[in-house]
Amino acid sequence: MPFYRDTLGLPDSAFALLRDLIHERTGLYYDNGKNELLTDKLSPLVVDRGFNSFLDYYYLLRYDSGAEEEWKRVLNALSVQETYFWREIDQVHAVVDILVPQYFSQNPLTPLRIWSSACATGEEPLTLAMALSESGWFDRGPIQIYGSDASTAAIEKAKRGVYRERAFRNLVPRLRSKYFSERERHWEIQMELHRRINWRVANLAKEDDVSMLATNTQIIFCRNLFIYFSEDSILKTLKMFYRMMSSPGYLFVGASESLLRLKTDFEFQELGAAFVYVKR
Amino acid sequence: MSTPAHAIGIFTTDANLVVRSWDSWLAEVTGVSADDAQGKAIVKLFPELEGRNLLSRFERVLTEGVVEILAPIFHHYLFACAPIHPSKNFEKMQHCVTIAPLRDRELIVGTIVTVEDVTPRLDRELELAGQLRRADDEALRLHAAEAFAEQDEIQTTAPLVEALGDESWRVRRMAIDGLARHGGPDAIKSLLQTLRDEHNNLNVLNSALQVLALSGVDAIGPLIEWLNEADVDLRIYSAQALGEQCDPRAVAALIQALEDEDANVRYHAIEALGKLRAAEAVEQLTEAAESHDFYLAFPALDALTRIGDPRTASRLVPLLEDDMLRVPAADALGRLGDEDVVAPLVALLNRPDAPTLVIAQALTALYDRFEESYQEGSLIADLVRPAIKATGAQNLLDTLGETGDDALRALAVVLGWLEGEAIERALTRLLGRATARKEVVEALVRHGSRSATLLIEQLDAEDFDIRQAAVITLGRIGDTRAVEPLVGVLTTDPELVIPAAGALAKIGDGRAFEALLGLIGHPEASVRQAVIAAINSLGHPEMADRAVTLLEDPNPHVRESAVRIAGYFGYAKCTELLMKRCNDEDESVRRAAIEHIPYLEDEQVTSILADSLSNGPARVRASAAQAFAHVEGTIASSYLLAGLLDSDDWVRYFAARSIGMHGFTEAVEELARLAQTDVANHVRIAAIESLGQMGGARAVAVLAPIVESDDTDLARAALGGLGLIGHPDAVQPLLAAVRSPNPSLRMDALRALGIRGGPGAVDAMEWSAASDPDAGVAQAAIDALAQLATPEAIATLTWLTSDPNRRDASIDTLAKVGKDHIELIGNGLTHTQPAVRRGTVEVLGRIKHSRASDFLSRALDDPDALVRLAAVRALSHLGTRIAERKIVAMARTDPDTNVRRTAQKALKK
Repeated sequence: MPFYRDTLGLPDSAFALLRDLIHERTGLYYDNGKNELLTDKLSPLVVDRGFNSFLDYYYLLRYDSGAEEEWKRVLNALSVQETYFWREIDQVHAVVDILVPQYFSQNPLTPLRIWSSACATGEEPLTLAMALSESGWFDRGPIQIYGSDASTAAIEKAKRGVYRERAFRNLVPRLRSKYFSERERHWEIQMELHRRINWRVANLAKEDDVSMLATNTQIIFCRNLFIYFSEDSILKTLKMFYRMMSSPGYLFVGASESLLRLKTDFEFQELGAAFVYVKR
Repeated sequence: MSTPAHAIGIFTTDANLVVRSWDSWLAEVTGVSADDAQGKAIVKLFPELEGRNLLSRFERVLTEGVVEILAPIFHHYLFACAPIHPSKNFEKMQHCVTIAPLRDRELIVGTIVTVEDVTPRLDRELELAGQLRRADDEALRLHAAEAFAEQDEIQTTAPLVEALGDESWRVRRMAIDGLARHGGPDAIKSLLQTLRDEHNNLNVLNSALQVLALSGVDAIGPLIEWLNEADVDLRIYSAQALGEQCDPRAVAALIQALEDEDANVRYHAIEALGKLRAAEAVEQLTEAAESHDFYLAFPALDALTRIGDPRTASRLVPLLEDDMLRVPAADALGRLGDEDVVAPLVALLNRPDAPTLVIAQALTALYDRFEESYQEGSLIADLVRPAIKATGAQNLLDTLGETGDDALRALAVVLGWLEGEAIERALTRLLGRATARKEVVEALVRHGSRSATLLIEQLDAEDFDIRQAAVITLGRIGDTRAVEPLVGVLTTDPELVIPAAGALAKIGDGRAFEALLGLIGHPEASVRQAVIAAINSLGHPEMADRAVTLLEDPNPHVRESAVRIAGYFGYAKCTELLMKRCNDEDESVRRAAIEHIPYLEDEQVTSILADSLSNGPARVRASAAQAFAHVEGTIASSYLLAGLLDSDDWVRYFAARSIGMHGFTEAVEELARLAQTDVANHVRIAAIESLGQMGGARAVAVLAPIVESDDTDLARAALGGLGLIGHPDAVQPLLAAVRSPNPSLRMDALRALGIRGGPGAVDAMEWSAASDPDAGVAQAAIDALAQLATPEAIATLTWLTSDPNRRDASIDTLAKVGKDHIELIGNGLTHTQPAVRRGTVEVLGRIKHSRASDFLSRALDDPDALVRLAAVRALSHLGTRIAERKIVAMARTDPDTNVRRTAQKALKK
């Protein structure tokens, strides 16, 4: 009798192999208590492939010549796409009210690059764009905003620019009405604002992907991603950011993701009501 | 002078210290050729040796056979010569010299002397030491400390010791790392001196304490001595340092320090004893807790908790009446106590001024311990439930609003034991809090249908997580009132389709059938899979007829789903259609059909699979190879053998796997070829694993060399394969792999040995369990012993219960397998070591079986009081009356007070 997903066991040995491979390729880390979570997320992919064991799937990811395509599906399955507009807004205010004016006072003509490196379905870079638009900065200086995520599915959704009610729980109605059009059961971003974001797929575990976006970038947002990373992956990513971004450069991480216990070259700084890690 | 390529020279002497060999480096740097040097006494070559008192070092080597090292920091050089490169600091080349005896069997016949030019290294160290003193430049000091730490060798650690007092924590941390890396006995002496001289400088002290903890060098003696120094600060810091050293030799001295005249010394001694988990100090620590001296009682309670001796719990109960100590006492009781502490804790909870959260945490800790050790968490819940009054319940509800996410679990656990609408409503609201969600769901499931109405309301919650949790919980409760609302979710809430399908599957009500069927063509595979699983759970009577139509649906997703459903049930009326779908135009439909037809009793199956294996596209051929595993008999053999030659990796992979499952020995040579040479690693692995399943000498001969492969996946597969082979030659490579430098291979080897056993297997597992530095490997060894479960393996596991580092793991593992091996475990009660007998009692106490209780009652006669104590406690906990008479006698006459007390308590139950 062929299996159904409930019979797809993930024995400890196979879990450890898959977990370590996923960690190596994506930075995401599933500790021993997350066996069931990983099973839930990956079993549709395993079944869809016609496999009846996770070990077969591990070998596919590790050895198959077409594994790159499958890795995209894995990243789509594993990525946490839950986010919303105007999240942890103090850091956005710090950018708009302190860093941007500071930057353009010294570099009036050089584009300011901001990279939202784990943007999921796009709420974070669009929040930055809204805040900059409200302050009139798009008319006062060249600003480039990049939004990337490892999940192709998430970036596809970001490119579509369509959002449900849940995404607006922190956004005041005035701004929603200003920047979005209401459709049946969802809201669509205004094209002019949407076009300000360059959308990319980028895996922070891959140096080439990071290099493409971090080089010549002054401000990086990497929020609520490190909670899913191991310490090694965090350090590796931070080293790449530090090496590649501009100087001075500013890195914003999630409110619950202090880097102080890690040995990094970034310096902690308070900016208004927010904190930031600075490359001098 | 030309620059020598290396920086070391070697010469030898005879027993009269006459030079016998002299290499080219020495010739270059001294200007003395080999011809001139050989045959000359070293005192002639280096006349100042005697005056510098270095000759005696050579003589000591000759007479005592020791190795003498002349460190440059003290001796600078063996002979005077100019540095090879100009030095900022030294006019003469600086040497690190090693003088070792030359032996001819037992006789020392001369010396061999190594002279290393360390001038550049010392120049560098001096430069770095200078940088470390640059008070104005933290970055420079940090860089210097890092450079020092990263040197392969350093001649003096003094600059790093000095840097322990740096004002920058980063520099101090780097200095700690460096000293931990390089600090040998001399460095530790410097550190201890620094500790002694500068113990008013907190930075230095803290850093020095960390290095002592990290260094692993023996500093216990001096630290113990300092506990008796006149200087109270030194006594304090010694107590602290002894706690950090984690060395049990300090325990006796620290217990004495509990009598120190200074309260701060006593305080730190208490803390240190806690860190050392000093069971010998339990009595004194309990007295400190009972003293009601807050300053000492607080750390004493913490120390007792760390030590974890449950004997002390009953004496801590009165502290719940002390306003200052009530909170730490409650915490300690939760972690140390047994079911007897429930009543006093709940009594406190029922007061208006209760420290509600701490009590909830204590009760939860108690519950968790009982659940983990005995699977008896419900005992605690059953005691708490009737004891909580209205005030207590209200206290819990009131505290919910003030509690952060971290602490919410405890409240959710305790509330989950209670009933009532207010409780259920509060719990339902907690569904949105991730840290408590699991406990809330469990509680609501226990409450069953009473919660269903509240949960159905939550299907409209704005918060997605609440809606999702409500869906899942309703599924688990299984109340059919939820069917229609869940069908609504299925059709209107796209993000909850999968959990809703799962919930409907669990409820199993046919009213969901049509809605589920409407989703079998969903574009997302994960949704289709969930819906198929749900439909299969329902087993609706109309499904067979509907399947006939759906198998011909124009939508390939629908056809594929129909194949999976019809194949699952094996509907007779769908057989022909399923066969037809094996040639469907859509590849996914074809593959699904191929996957299912082996389970149909139909003579077309083999020919269809054979045709698919030969003629289909690659993924279809792979599916056919996979499906042949389930075709009974030997008919599949020739087709699968052909599959081993397929051009596609996955066809070969599944052909190899299927052959292994069947055990077709005619394929051994072909599998051997694939295992050794296939271009695709996963094919090699499949072949290796199949050879393992088939066994035999040939399989061993192929797998054994692969264990040595640099490719971990191949080595792992080979180890797993050898574990399946009963042939005696399979053992040796496994035993060798237990010593692999790679921990994951050591684990695989141990697992394999746990399956097959063999000569030396238990010894290897014992060694790994006791000595492997990797905790995962040690646990794998313990698990392997339990898996093997021979008398020798069980005896080894019971012995391991006496190892403090392995005790908990061994007891847990033995308890899990205990029911099947009670007699073997019981043998542990005759071991000569009381610690083993105590561990055995612990294990037996977790096995609910009359035979285990028989053994426990024998343990009541053990000569060791702690064993008898453990046996009384275990029998009391098991609630067996099997040895009641004996316990009655012990309550009056046992020579040990604690045993008598525990027996009395047991009789009261």
